[in-house]
Amino acid sequence: MRWLPPTRLLVIMGSVLLPLMLLGLMMGPVWIAPAGVLRALADHFNASATAASSQEGLILFAIRLPRVILAGLVGVSLAVCGTVMQGLFRNPLADPSLIGVSSGASAGASVMIVLGGGALLQGGQAVGLSVIALGAFTGGLLAVALVYRLATSATGTSVATMLLAGIAISALAGALNSLFTFMADDAMLRRISLWQMGSLDAANWPRVWIAGLAVAILMTLLPREGPALNAFLLGESEARHLGIAVDAVKRKLILLTAMAIGVSVAVAGTISFVGLIVPHIVRLLIGPDHRYLIPASAMAGAILLILADAAARVVVAPAELPAGILTALLGTPFFFSLLARGRRGEVG
Amino acid sequence: MSLSARNLSLTLSNTPLLGAIDLDIQPGRITTVLGPNGAGKTSLLRVLGGELQPDTGNVSLNGRKLTEWSPRQRARILAVLPQHSLLNFPFTAAEVVMLGRTPHDSGLEHDREIVTQALKAVDGDYLAERIYTQLSGGEKQRVHLARVLAQIWAPCLEGERFLLLDEPTSSFDLAHQQLTLDVVRNLALQGVGVLMVIHDLNLAARCAHQMILMQCGKIVVAGSPVEVLNQDTIARVFQVTATIGTHPVNGTPLVIT
Repeated sequence: MRWLPPTRLLVIMGSVLLPLMLLGLMMGPVWIAPAGVLRALADHFNASATAASSQEGLILFAIRLPRVILAGLVGVSLAVCGTVMQGLFRNPLADPSLIGVSSGASAGASVMIVLGGGALLQGGQAVGLSVIALGAFTGGLLAVALVYRLATSATGTSVATMLLAGIAISALAGALNSLFTFMADDAMLRRISLWQMGSLDAANWPRVWIAGLAVAILMTLLPREGPALNAFLLGESEARHLGIAVDAVKRKLILLTAMAIGVSVAVAGTISFVGLIVPHIVRLLIGPDHRYLIPASAMAGAILLILADAAARVVVAPAELPAGILTALLGTPFFFSLLARGRRGEVG
Repeated sequence: MSLSARNLSLTLSNTPLLGAIDLDIQPGRITTVLGPNGAGKTSLLRVLGGELQPDTGNVSLNGRKLTEWSPRQRARILAVLPQHSLLNFPFTAAEVVMLGRTPHDSGLEHDREIVTQALKAVDGDYLAERIYTQLSGGEKQRVHLARVLAQIWAPCLEGERFLLLDEPTSSFDLAHQQLTLDVVRNLALQGVGVLMVIHDLNLAARCAHQMILMQCGKIVVAGSPVEVLNQDTIARVFQVTATIGTHPVNGTPLVIT
């Protein structure tokens, strides 16, 4: 079953990433040849006045480049946080939605869409994030805060209780979501359902900066917890016996996940399965050592989402599929095969 | 310098689990803890390992309270082998043993050498590259034994080293039960203080310097195997009638039930 040497996988993915981004820049309703992409890039960095006015340059810099970068950043967040959750819950089938962040964000978005009204939605922008995105971010963080509070007692935070609390809070957020869907009119309904499918079509530079900041924080603070996550896989008591400050590490991991997933849901909606399947595939390839698993999942997540988003732009051109549909379409068969193998005792 | 408990008591959800426990684990000596199910053996081990906080009393490690140690420094000299492991991820056996080196900064090369030695010590060198989740129960337990060995492999600045084992032989065949005893004796010879919860009275008697019989959260008798193992105490603690003989070769008490 295993394995690739971890460094080899990192090198392979690293060398795939740039060509893939180039591909992402080329694909769309208007095809831009590689030469065109490179010329526009060169022009842009020469800062000549003509670059911005050319049509290709405009498409590239106003639309495609932020979109490709945002896809990469969101892919990193989802995949890395999925890795963290699977380690924290010691369950290869865990993903970030377990702690309520995704459903909380969905409910937050629905609330904003329905209560915010049309006027607010047209004009309401703050630092490049729509009011809906802010609602989603707040909803996600609120849900995680609740789950964490419910699971934390004097004796520490129980991961098992957190799992149950996550399910309960997700159900609550789901009910809230349904309630607002019920209250919504037709236009709002379409918005809600599109938003929940997850898409990168609202990408712009401010969103890139926000997501970039989140990913920078995540990837600065997380990799040093690799050994702690490895020890967690033995169980919390064992991790403690191995000298890990279990509760502090747990709090840090949950905070980082809530922050990164909150941001990624706010800028791109709920994109399913990346957080579940990417860590899984990577673990099958290089084994469960988090010191390699975290960077490798990050790169694999970026690759998958850039690819899915590029495909989303062309499969039904000139219309566009939400990328969340494509990741789920790719993810579900894999998930079923995992479940089937799990029943035969091969997963884990 | 020792791992010492003074006047420990512990109550969880209104059930008293431990009461008035005084105990010293000396470097280089093996203490075995015996008693019927629910006597509080595992609770005692969890309090000594710092996993549960006692309601009264305290545990000190090399003269300092357990809670005053930084988790990392404490882990360099106090290792715990639990009865069951939850590990369900496809590490290789060598990677699992390497986890034992987490609290140390001794360098990868050095750690690899220790991992190899530790696996060899538990007769598990052939397991090194095997996937942990595919091993048998006994093999898994040996890998974890190697892991705690690797954790306290060499003397270090924090002082005397201690190892707590919860039924380390429960899923072993005869040969590996013997091997475990040898490993534990070797550790004691190197100055490690060992506390071992075990059900087999005769295995316990063979390696123990100090034996402790527990019942209902209290220590009933403590002393050398000869002092502790007699018809009276066994009847009192285990409610069985036993005949006590002497092992024909090494002279330790032999309990026949």
